[in-house]
Order: sequence, then C-alpha cells, then structure tokens
Amino acid sequence: MAIAALETAPPVPPSPATNKRRGSLGGVVLWLVLILLIIAPVTSFLILGVSPRVFQQGSQWFTLSYVRQAFSSYFGRGIFNSLWVSTTVAILSVCLATALAWLIHRTNVGGRRFWTVAMWLLLMMPTWMMTLGWTDLLQPFGAAQALGVNTHWFYGEFFGPLGIVVVLTSAALPFAYFIVSAGLQGLGPEYEDAARIHGAGPLRSLRTIVPIIAPALLSALAIAFAETMSDFGVAFTLGYHSNFPMATYVLFSAISNFPANFSVAAVIAAVLIIATIPPIILQSHVMRKRSYAVFSGRTRAPRRRELARGPRAWATVAVAGVFFVALGVPILGAVIGSLVKNLGIDSPNGVHFTLTYYMQIFRPSIQGDSLGAPLLLSNQLGLVVATGTGILAVILARRLVANPGSWSQRVTDVFLLGSVAVPGVVLGVGYIFFYNLSFISHNAVSIYKTLPLLMLALVANAVPGQTRFMAGPVSQIQPSLGEAARVHGAGRMRAWRTTNLPLMSRVLLWGWLLTFTKTIAELAISQILYPPSQEPASVSIQSYLANFAPNTGTAMTVLTLIEMLAVIGLALGIYRLVTPNGWRRVGWSGVQS
Amino acid sequence: MSVTTPRAVGVSMSALGKTFGEKRVLEDVSIAVEPGTFLVLLGPSGSGKTTLLRCVAGIERPSSGTIIIGGTVVVGGKTFVPPERRRLAMVFQDYALWPHLSVRKNVAYPLTTSSLEKSERAGRCEDLLERVGISHLADRYPNELSGGEQQRVALARALAAEVGLILFDEPLSNLDADRREQLRIEIATLTREAGVTAIYITHDQSEAFALADQIGVLNQGRLVQFDTPENIYRHPHSAFVARFTGVAGEFPVRVTGERGEHGVVVELPFSTGHSIEASCIERLKSRADVSLFVRASGVSLAEPAYDEGVRGLIRDVAFNGRGYDHVVDVGEGFSLTKIFAPTRFERGRNVKVCFNPSACFVMDSMREVVK
Repeated sequence: MAIAALETAPPVPPSPATNKRRGSLGGVVLWLVLILLIIAPVTSFLILGVSPRVFQQGSQWFTLSYVRQAFSSYFGRGIFNSLWVSTTVAILSVCLATALAWLIHRTNVGGRRFWTVAMWLLLMMPTWMMTLGWTDLLQPFGAAQALGVNTHWFYGEFFGPLGIVVVLTSAALPFAYFIVSAGLQGLGPEYEDAARIHGAGPLRSLRTIVPIIAPALLSALAIAFAETMSDFGVAFTLGYHSNFPMATYVLFSAISNFPANFSVAAVIAAVLIIATIPPIILQSHVMRKRSYAVFSGRTRAPRRRELARGPRAWATVAVAGVFFVALGVPILGAVIGSLVKNLGIDSPNGVHFTLTYYMQIFRPSIQGDSLGAPLLLSNQLGLVVATGTGILAVILARRLVANPGSWSQRVTDVFLLGSVAVPGVVLGVGYIFFYNLSFISHNAVSIYKTLPLLMLALVANAVPGQTRFMAGPVSQIQPSLGEAARVHGAGRMRAWRTTNLPLMSRVLLWGWLLTFTKTIAELAISQILYPPSQEPASVSIQSYLANFAPNTGTAMTVLTLIEMLAVIGLALGIYRLVTPNGWRRVGWSGVQS
Repeated sequence: MSVTTPRAVGVSMSALGKTFGEKRVLEDVSIAVEPGTFLVLLGPSGSGKTTLLRCVAGIERPSSGTIIIGGTVVVGGKTFVPPERRRLAMVFQDYALWPHLSVRKNVAYPLTTSSLEKSERAGRCEDLLERVGISHLADRYPNELSGGEQQRVALARALAAEVGLILFDEPLSNLDADRREQLRIEIATLTREAGVTAIYITHDQSEAFALADQIGVLNQGRLVQFDTPENIYRHPHSAFVARFTGVAGEFPVRVTGERGEHGVVVELPFSTGHSIEASCIERLKSRADVSLFVRASGVSLAEPAYDEGVRGLIRDVAFNGRGYDHVVDVGEGFSLTKIFAPTRFERGRNVKVCFNPSACFVMDSMREVVK
C-alpha cells in the first residue's frame, strides 16, 4: 500500500532543501532510537562504577572504591578467569577454524556442503544448550553410561576450565570460520602460483600467502575473543556449577544478590567492554587499511587441492571429528539424556528409555507451568525481535556503507564497534537500572518489568551484530543497479524492491533466522529482564534444570532445538517456494561470509 | 545528422555547476543539443563528463544551473525531477544488469510500467533481442554472458524504453579492441535507427570522432570546445583540445612571418634556419612564446635524398595492418610519433620529414578557451 502510494504520488519534485531536511530528520530519529536502545542504558549504568551519586545510588560523586572491590576476591577471580579463557579460546578456535576453512574450501574433503550447514547450526546453538548436552552425556549414570561408555574419569575434568574452554571454543568456532573462509575464498591461486614460479617451495609459498589473509585471521581472533568474553550461557551453567566464576556471571550475581551492588556490576561491565573494544578496533583498523577481501575482476576462482584417496579419507574423518565434538556430542547428550529414565541416578533396574519427560513438558508441573506458554512467548519474542532488528540493521547498514569517509558514516561505525563489545548481560543490567530510574519511568516511558522492555533489550543486543552481518552484502550491491532502475522508470521504493531486495533476500532471511533462533534461546537478558510470570523458554528450562526436574528440562531443551530447526526448515522452504529463481541465484557470498 | 523522429528530444544545459564538498567538478557548463543529435562529451578522467551525464540522468543533483529535456525544466531553481520521471534511458559503464533477472527480464524492465499489453511487451522485447543479436541468450543470466553480450543487453534495455534520450556512460571502456569496434558500430546504427537523441561520454578521441554529430570537449569541469568532429580536429581552439584529440608532436617555435588570413611561418627549433607554414586560428599574444602542434596526418616520410623536409632518424616502427607507424627523432629531445607510411622505414635509418601546413597549428601553449 505504501509502495503503491509512493509510486503514484503526483509529480511534485522535492526540492534539494526538502530532501536534505528529510535526510537529517531521519538521522535524528534514528539516533534518538539508538540512544534509548543502547547508549543511554549502558552509559548511565557504567557511570555508577565511579560516580554512584549521579543517580542517587550512593553518597560519592567520585570514588574508586568499587573499582578496587571489583578486582578483589570473587569478582576479581571472575575477571581474571574470563580474560585467560577468552584468550585461549580465541587462539584455539582460530587455529581450528583456519584448518577447517582450508579443508572445506580448498580441498576435495568429503561432505563439504554438509559441513557448511553444520557450521550454521553451530552458530545458532546457544552455549547453555551445549553445556547441557555435555553434562547429560558425561555425568555418572548419564547418557554415555546408558550407551555402555564409561566417562567417569572425564566427568571431573569437564567440570572446570577444560570443559569451559571446550564448549566456548565450539561456540566461537563458527564466528572464526566464516571470517577466515571469506579471506580464503578471495585468495586466488595466482599468489601461490607466483611464489612457486619464483622459486618458493610449498612451505615458503605458505609463508608468503599467510600474511595476505592475516587481516582475516586477526579479525577472527578479535571476534572470537569478544564473543567469549561476553558469553553468559556457559558462565551461568558450567562456570557456576564448577565453581569457576567468570566475569559475566559475577556481574549478574552482583545485581541478583541482596543487596544489589550496581556500582561493582558497573565496574565489571566496564572491564568487559574495555577488554573487548581494543581487539575490535584493531580488527576494524586492520581491515580498513588492508582488506583481506582481495576479490577483483581478475581474481580467478580458488583452486581446490585434489587429495588422494587416503589423505582425503583422513581429512574427512578429522573434519567429522571436530564437528562431532563441537555439535554432535552436545546434541547426542541432550537427546539421549531426555530419553533415559532417571538420568544421573543409580537405578538397580538398569537403564531404561522413556518418552515420559516429553509428555511431562506440556503438563502443568509443580510450579504450575508447562513449556507451552514459555515456548510460545519465546517464539513471539523471536518474531518481533528478528523483524525489528532486521529493519533497523538494514537502515544502519545502508548508513554504514553510504558516503564512505563522511562524518555520519564514521560515527555510525564507531557506535557499532562499541556496541558489538557490549555483552548481553551488561545491556540487561543497564536496562534494569535505566528504565527503573524514577526520572525515566515518571517523565518518559514506564516499561520497567514489562515485555516491551525485554523486547527492546533483545533488539538492542542483536542490532550491532546484525548490522555488521548485513553491511558486507549491502556494500557489495553496486549503486549503479539501483540507478539503472531509477533511470528506466522505477520510483525510489520500486527500485529498491526490484533490484536491492532480491540481491539481499537470502542475507535478510538468514539474518532474520539467526536473530530469531538466538532470541528463542537467549539467556542473559531474558534471565535479567523477564516480567513476573512471563518466563521465556530459556529461563523456564533453566529453572527446571536447576530445581526439580532436570530430565524434563533436558527434554524441553531438545524440543526447543527441534522447534528452532523446524522454523529454519520452514522458512527456507517457503523462501524456495515463493521467490523467483533469479533471487536464489544470487546473494550466497554474503551468507557464506 | 541523423533522421529525427518525433520521439527525439532536445536537451539544453545552461550555467551548470556541481561541487562535491570543497571540490568543484563542473563549472558553468552550457550546451544545447538539437533533437536527434548524437553528442559525444570527450574529456580525460576527472574532467567532469560522468558527473555531467549523471546530472542529466537525475542521479546527481547539480549545485547550480538549469537542465531542460524536451522542453521541460528538470533542474532549475527549486525544481528537481527524479530520474524515473525524465523519460530517458541509460547504458552504464559497468552495464548495471540486475544479476537476479534473466536477459529477457532485464530488457523488459523499462516496459513493466508501460501501458502495453503483456503480449505486446513480450513481442517488443523479442524484437530488441533480435536486433542486438542476443535472442538466443534470452533465458540466460548476466553472469553467464561475456562482456560484449552483457553490453548488448544493456543496449537493448536502453532501447526498450522507447524514450527520446539515451545516455551512454563510457559503455565500451570495459571491452577488448575487437568487441569495442563491433559494438561501437552497433551503437551508432541502432541509436540512429531509433531516431533518439544520444549523449555519449568517452575519453577515447577515435571513439568520439567515429560516433559524434557534435563533440563537447571537457577539461577540469569546463566545456572548452563544442563543435563538429571535423572542426574540432581541424581547428582546435586550445592547446588542450589539440593535445587531447591527438598530436604527433608539439614543439616550441618562433613566428617569423605571416601567410594570408590564417597562416604563419614558423622557425623549427630542431632545424636551424628551416621554416614551415602552419595554421593560426586565433590572434597570438606574442610571436615568441608559442607552440607548434602537428597532427599525425600532416606529416609524411621520404627518402633522405628528397629535397624538401627536415632530417629525421627512425627510432621505432610498428606494423598496424594497413602500413607502418613510425617514431621519428627530428632533433635533440624532439620527436614525432605515429607517423604513417605505406612502406617500412627500418630503425636507425635516416629519412626526410615533410610537414603539411593544413595539419600544423600554432597556438599559445598555455592558452585555454572556455566555451
């Protein structure tokens, strides 16, 4: 309707001044939205760390006592643990991702398409689900034992830094993989050929080529580090249960314990952001100076190395092994765990499989809840959040790639870089604090402890990452495509709809699915901001797991995972059915990178 | 001049200016194009020709000035008509074919908003594909075509719109020499058959001379000459135009006498006491600080024993199919390039170089004329 109205609008051409005013008005509205979504909640919360009196949270205008407190005892341990774990995970995941990317994109290793799909699944899998799968598998009288495998010896080891590093490396792997893959795909064979022709052996050729994709590797390191630092799922489950505090969890405990200590939480939040910003800025700086995307009209398609039968089989087994550990074990553990009767309990009758826990899911439990309502709520949240995020991300991505080097582009870029570094838990606590301020709730909006507040926080959490995800594909669309449409008679909206939208459709779909699934399984913000008696699925599952019905909780987890996969399948199926063939021929590069 | 149909529109630009931030890329450009004319805007990179074309298309908004297309003011004062309402078509340098649409759908795009019946649209589309010789590729996608085929699709799309003005943004610059020549002929033929007005930009003078009814030469955002190809070649108004449209050599000379209304006698710097006749279009400021510009067509080579001409030494020779292009050293630091001869003069050989006065011009070397 809006499109039709625009297309048939009377031919009154807008003046340059009108267009400029419209552009700047749009910019003001956009920044107002971003201030309310991200900037105001996070900055006001961070100020508390050194100046609690600004918001009547203490008597001092300026103090460093909370900084000292945050770096001592329990809180300090959490920060220290997060830093070394994140560094280890970043290095491990980039090494693994580089090997996988090379095998999948540059050799004839078996199942290449399957591994790419598996990587997407891994990207969508929340870390708390992975933890649950591992726990169910390894625990005494758990899923592995039900299959006749003794894992007793490993169980104790897993509940500690080793398990945390394994799960977080699995979670960081797809981020690193997609970045390194993009770098490798743009690296034509001519560089290697040139080195070989000029006398370099295989090793020296490799040494010559690696610096070309160094920006991609550095970028992958930065993103893997940032993702690990900001993870809450593992900190809340495995970290807490193994008495291995991590920064995001100690931040959460600072505000969830009584009395809540917002100032210490603010200092920890600042540490999390400060630790993440330098690698991200460094990565952005390197990428700007020396793009790893060496695509050009003259770059030939990468050549695949044809492995002989034996090495190919070994390479395929190695890739399968990585995916088995990262994705297979957690899924297998959770699925078997949900089917074993009295999981984790020594039963004199041996191991029995049952579907009882799946049936219990939709029955009211002792608490009077079933998974039906939380899962429905999570889906509704996912729908709204993914759609809202998609719209905002496209607008921001267009701003980010338009007028390179302009003031507006630089501000948007810096803002997005900073926002990517804000963990969900910081955003959640920031929202609790900011939207509960009497100044805001009395004079602006009163949405504290409501579903809209949770939705806004989830959108705010997803927008920076989603924008960066979109920015690549948006920048790949040559302006002349839209200009050609305009010159040949299409109005502004029709030009966008008929030229840009088809080229971005696949990226938009995958971006939407990514946000949708991440929202359904999101834990940090949901745990902090869910309104009373309106628990999303992830929170509901955690309370089942932690309190009285771990088997039902596991079954709920599996069901949520199945539901997520079903939505992905359905969306992809609909996309295939309703879009023209041409739409599906383009746009893969953005999704794959 | 081509056959003008009622569809062809006149284009008039007056006092057109465009700045990007501090940078002025177009300054006070005024051009009037008659309906049905094939105008080529010629200039080096950064001369503002692309910006000028984009201003006519409505993709760029001029900072000042007026553009009138077919009697309608599309830019002027507070008026700015968006591109889709200007009734024109364009062939882009990078082709700008939509990768998600087949060849047929790309060509049919401008027709989708027309009031034509579906069958009539399809018929016209097929006809155009046939005319540009790609009907067998109708169901392919742009990435399955060669550069030349892609450019043919872009040409068919522009013709499909049946508008009165087609803009060409260096459409041949991404093609190899053979395809460029072939497509140049097709563009010239099909555009004139369609009877539309065309504005074509290029930095290639041979392309400009081959295509144009009128040529506008741009330099640093200013229009420096606007004339027929013949006049631009024979009577360049400035040293820049002379250089940009191809000279075999440029030498500082001293005017020693006059010959008729537009002729002078100049003393060559590399051959003491040797003078030749040359054309002088404008009044010179001084007789000393001037340059002689020599077109390749105004120089011929002869055996060393020949009475006329100045002495030269062949530095290089290249076979061009029809004969030989030579580079001839005519003195310390002075040489002439692209000197054609039907027979080959070997490298290192002495020759006599003869000048034809009608292809030699004398001008102030720094002189610039703005139209």
